[in-house]
Amino acid sequence: MNTFGFIIGIATLLIIGLGFPLVIRGERYLGYLWWPYMMGIGFFTIIASLFILIDWLSVVTGVLGATFIWGSTELKEQAVRTELGWFPFNANKIKPPFEGVIKKWKAPHL
Amino acid sequence: MNWLGFIAAVTAFLSIWIGHVAVRKIESTSRTIWIPTVTALALGLITEYFSLITDNLSLKTAFGIIGITLLWDALEFTRQQNRVKHGHAPTNPNNPRHVKILTEHKSATTLDLLKRDPVGKLVSQDEGIKLIAGH
Repeated sequence: MNTFGFIIGIATLLIIGLGFPLVIRGERYLGYLWWPYMMGIGFFTIIASLFILIDWLSVVTGVLGATFIWGSTELKEQAVRTELGWFPFNANKIKPPFEGVIKKWKAPHL
Repeated sequence: MNWLGFIAAVTAFLSIWIGHVAVRKIESTSRTIWIPTVTALALGLITEYFSLITDNLSLKTAFGIIGITLLWDALEFTRQQNRVKHGHAPTNPNNPRHVKILTEHKSATTLDLLKRDPVGKLVSQDEGIKLIAGH
């Protein structure tokens, strides 16, 4: 019996907890149209985890990547929440590169 | 190459996704929230027990993540009910518990105000309702 899995579970909870401010602040200052970039960071982070030979570090990196991908799917709904006044609304967001192209894509929501 | 991080990432993503959808669906249809809460709590503890006793590192990792996600979902039933009370999630008029919430909480609504695309500006409650109607 060893507690590796349990500790990883707790670490996952803490990393996912970081995902909440990531989505809230990310949407407030950048806007939901940054979702492809957040998703891309997530995929690259998960790929990076494949090359980390220390088990716990590989797992933490993988979960961090999953959190970024999950966060990217939450940005659109968070943008609607701010428009309804449930969270602070910021009209002066930093526009993403290739904004026009991204606008034509359907932002994911799960 | 070390696949443990990848396994953890896929497990975390799927368990968050499935948990997220299941909590909303079950909270909406269940007549009580204590039964789903206790069920998720029990499943979470059983899954964590499997994580402790298995010798396979991949299974240990996956069970550890799924178990903690289930324990978090147990808390989420109450949090989701609070969202329903505040009108941040829709009530189900076919659920007697939600009908009670509708009568006791003025902010509760049957409308899902989040079911639309952003428009890039602050909107009033009425505008928000019009926007979901046109979506």
